[in-house]
Amino acid sequence: MGMLEYDFMRVALVMAVLIGLTAPAVGTFIVQRRLSLLGDGVGHIALTGIGLGLLTGTSPVLGALVVAVLGAVAIEVLRARSRSGADVALALLFYGGLAGGVLLTDAEGGGGTSLQSYLFGSISSVTVDDLYVVAALAAVVLGVVALFGRELFLLCQDEEVARASGLPVRFLSALVAVTAAVTVVIAMRAIGLLLVSALMVVPVAAAQQLTRGFRATMLLAMAAGVLSAVAGLAGSFEYDLPPGPSIVLLALTLFVAAVLGGTLVRRARARAAAGRRIPAVRSGVDAEAEVLGG
Amino acid sequence: MSAPPFAMTAGTVRRDGRAVLDAVDLEVAPGDVLAVMGPNGAGKSTLVKALLGLVPLAGGRTEIYGVPPGRFRDWRRVGYVPQRLPMGGGVPSTVREVVASGRVARQSRWRPASAADRAAVDRALEAAGLTALARESAHLLSGGQQQRVLIARALAGEPDVFVLDEPTAGVDAGNQAALAATLRDLAGTGRTVVLVAHELGPMEPVVTRTVELEHGRLVRDTSSPADMRESA
Repeated sequence: MGMLEYDFMRVALVMAVLIGLTAPAVGTFIVQRRLSLLGDGVGHIALTGIGLGLLTGTSPVLGALVVAVLGAVAIEVLRARSRSGADVALALLFYGGLAGGVLLTDAEGGGGTSLQSYLFGSISSVTVDDLYVVAALAAVVLGVVALFGRELFLLCQDEEVARASGLPVRFLSALVAVTAAVTVVIAMRAIGLLLVSALMVVPVAAAQQLTRGFRATMLLAMAAGVLSAVAGLAGSFEYDLPPGPSIVLLALTLFVAAVLGGTLVRRARARAAAGRRIPAVRSGVDAEAEVLGG
Repeated sequence: MSAPPFAMTAGTVRRDGRAVLDAVDLEVAPGDVLAVMGPNGAGKSTLVKALLGLVPLAGGRTEIYGVPPGRFRDWRRVGYVPQRLPMGGGVPSTVREVVASGRVARQSRWRPASAADRAAVDRALEAAGLTALARESAHLLSGGQQQRVLIARALAGEPDVFVLDEPTAGVDAGNQAALAATLRDLAGTGRTVVLVAHELGPMEPVVTRTVELEHGRLVRDTSSPADMRESA
């Protein structure tokens, strides 16, 4: 493959694998907690961090990391504190982050190009140093999932049962939010802040069409994530397309394929079960209702 | 003498200014199989959640084995069975995954599941009659089967006291009988059980004590359902 002759593409491909693994791993918990748009919100907020980083001449990635983590904690506090007012509070936070980011990058004078590259990704500008940072962050995220996976599973399943099992529910909730924020920063350079959360959600939505278990969903989502990220990147190189949108559209294609595949699998299972259990019933529709609803 | 599993004194819970639990005194003794009964909205679920510290008290105090819920650490002694298995965002879980999560209070973060963990999960699945369904998606099971999954999750943790919130709501007769059998086994091994129920059905012979709530107040406390019928 010609693209491997380029240093930046080798770096970019390693990064794509890391993103493909981490985003859906965290995403599985996020989706189960009904926080699918959390990544999106954190992405908006992180933009202010990038603006701050550019303006102060420090690292935009570091700025994004700090502000994204603070934003994630703020979101979690709002979520836990109030059930009704959180919705509007979150919206305020998101728009504030986006507007602040645009204003700050503009004030810095870098203008449209650098902002564009953070909003929609610019993997060709990724350096080896960036890769080291991303690899370290990815190790942290996967470490959290491995170490706290059992507790996070119960937390996402039922928060009250988690509390009655003595789990530190507030800490774990914040941990989910912060890990999501770190993942957003990992994926930001390649996919862009506006599309980052797609890779946390779409592979999970695809995997859950085909699986029966949580662990299986997570592993399949990670496989789908890596496939989307690597193939999307390769495709964008080959056909000179922007990588972020290519990766996300590929993930969405996998989702549509999974929905169709899942429907066929369930039909086949229902027919098989109908044949075994209630031979008197001929109608496939009835048989499906028996298995799915009964 | 060791402290009782639950002891509530003048427990009051307010929601929107209204007392949904009103100065309730309740001590649950070890080995009790206590049914909390009463009409809808009487505060039954609120009472058991308050006993566990899941709902904060606006007044009074409550203790789990002599310690207020906020400072209680020995959660492996407590098994809580909620009313239903929430769907969440729709990520599936196998029956075995849900049941295995009942071990979490006994597990160290730093170690993978042990042979003892797996054996306890196997026993819980067996006791709830779920062994054949272990690899199925829990959310696709019937209501009664899901209830058994939730009970198996609590069983897997091998607690001393079980708290079940409406375990028979929407459960067919077969599953109710299975539940009664499970409760009898638990009572036989000296476990404490607190269960919320609209009516007792097949669980009646197992229950040793009944309290009845009305508008958040404890209106009756009897040592067996038979006594309650006489007093009514």
